[in-house]
Amino acid sequence: MATTTIGSATAIVGMGRALGQRDDPDGPKTPLQLGAIAARRAMAAAGITRAEVGALFTGRTPQSYMVLQYNQALLNELKIGPTFNTEVTAHGGGALGTLQLAALALHAGVIDYALCVTNEASGLWMDQVGSNAAWEGDLQFEAPYGPSTPSIYAQFACRYMHETGTTPEMCAHVSVENRHWALQHPYAAMRHKGPITIEDVLASRMIASPLRMLDCAVWYPGGIATAIVLTRADIARGGRHAEATWLAGFGQCSTHEWVGERMGSWGFAPLEDGPNLVRTGTALAAKQAYAMSGLSAHDMHIAQSSAPFSFANLMILEELGFCPFGEGGRFAADGGIAFDGGLPFNTMGGYLSFGQVAQGLYNLQEVVDQIHGRAEGRQVPGVEAGIVHGHGGPMACHSVVILTREPTR
Amino acid sequence: MSFAPQKVDWSRGVPLRAGDWFIGLYQPSPETVGFWDAVQHGELVLKYCPACDKCFHPKRIVCTDCGSADLAWRTASGRGHVYSYSEVHRAPSGDFAGSTPYTVGIVALEEGVHLFTRLIAEPEPIAIDAPVTVDFRVLELGQLLPVFVVGAA
Repeated sequence: MATTTIGSATAIVGMGRALGQRDDPDGPKTPLQLGAIAARRAMAAAGITRAEVGALFTGRTPQSYMVLQYNQALLNELKIGPTFNTEVTAHGGGALGTLQLAALALHAGVIDYALCVTNEASGLWMDQVGSNAAWEGDLQFEAPYGPSTPSIYAQFACRYMHETGTTPEMCAHVSVENRHWALQHPYAAMRHKGPITIEDVLASRMIASPLRMLDCAVWYPGGIATAIVLTRADIARGGRHAEATWLAGFGQCSTHEWVGERMGSWGFAPLEDGPNLVRTGTALAAKQAYAMSGLSAHDMHIAQSSAPFSFANLMILEELGFCPFGEGGRFAADGGIAFDGGLPFNTMGGYLSFGQVAQGLYNLQEVVDQIHGRAEGRQVPGVEAGIVHGHGGPMACHSVVILTREPTR
Repeated sequence: MSFAPQKVDWSRGVPLRAGDWFIGLYQPSPETVGFWDAVQHGELVLKYCPACDKCFHPKRIVCTDCGSADLAWRTASGRGHVYSYSEVHRAPSGDFAGSTPYTVGIVALEEGVHLFTRLIAEPEPIAIDAPVTVDFRVLELGQLLPVFVVGAA
């Protein structure tokens, strides 16, 4: 594979974050405010000047800050003049895709530093239940039928459970374990709700069959921005930067726009055998990332997914290589992702219990923190490598990133 | 500076309709207007590539296989089976709240095309692989739409 020289060719040398809450004493902040604050913190952590920012990459324009040229709004605030500047708009999967673009530009030698910023504050500024369906369904051929966002994902769930024998009880393990992790996180949306049991999940009210309330992601009731600074290996090793987290591998795969149209797609991976609702682009993205890094799923000490429903996390666990296809449910039911003794999975609490802000790099931030021993209250001992999955709906766009404490090549 | 959080309504008070804030996208577009015209006459049509003798989703602009843009409309049999489905208990907006629970799903037509649709569970219950037949009904937004009734015609 032509991509093998790029594994561990780049590293994260600075990270900044900003969290906005409804009850902030100076009022709620916009995504632009949070993004600008996080970006300056990342630049400060990396110790680079404005003039040194060679590239600015963002995910898609924040849903709660729709302007025609979002990158210009951000770079105008930061007063930087990047020579490579663009949004990466693979739905929510574009957030992690910014790292891919940064690695390519750095590896090619056209820039020395890339600044990746993702930020969203939909929990502060939007009616997410009312508006999100417009982001997840075809406005002409699906929305007039009244699909809620969960009912669109439920099309995948219905087939997945039908074809693999996965049960609602197996799926519920994801909800229970995610909640367990969220209870350890100071800012998790569901922290105050306390632990839940399999029975609680199965007894929660039906939202869109087979998905019950506790099978679904919660909207994060605030805003989150994460910014990172990446550079090339030679610079990262040069002694200027206090910390490096290595981008050992990455991959991305997008398959469709809407769920109905997904079933009219064939002739390319992962739909080479025809349309289906049980395979995603994650397996292909992960395969590339593992190949780049020289590592396998067995080497991952921690894993994060932005899959927004319980069953979808099982699909992603399979495609990241932690269990065979169709076995995600049995893997989870047998303790595979148990808080005590299983794979540390969604250690912030996942989208189901930490919450989601529609897009972001906060799952990536968690792996960086875990690798450097900063995950207060939920630190997994000895994390050398972690894998992050970024999802763009509905199950359409998938990004995978592998981070390591030491370069793997 | 301090002020109370505001609840911003994207649709600015207009009931949720597909695309009220994305003007144009919810309207029939040049490549789909033939589909919606046919619906007005109680007819279900699909895109068709004469060269490949293959039907496609009504949105297709070019043939997936040969790449030709010379696609025609072809009347579908209106028969197929349930591929996937979900019973909606929490509606996406007030427009649909009075109808819950209702079922949205994907049907596989005899022509090999899949359509997202509303499934009507009468007389038979909804299940994967259950036979369906097209019907045309005015749904909650006041739009005449093809729906699929479970049970062989």
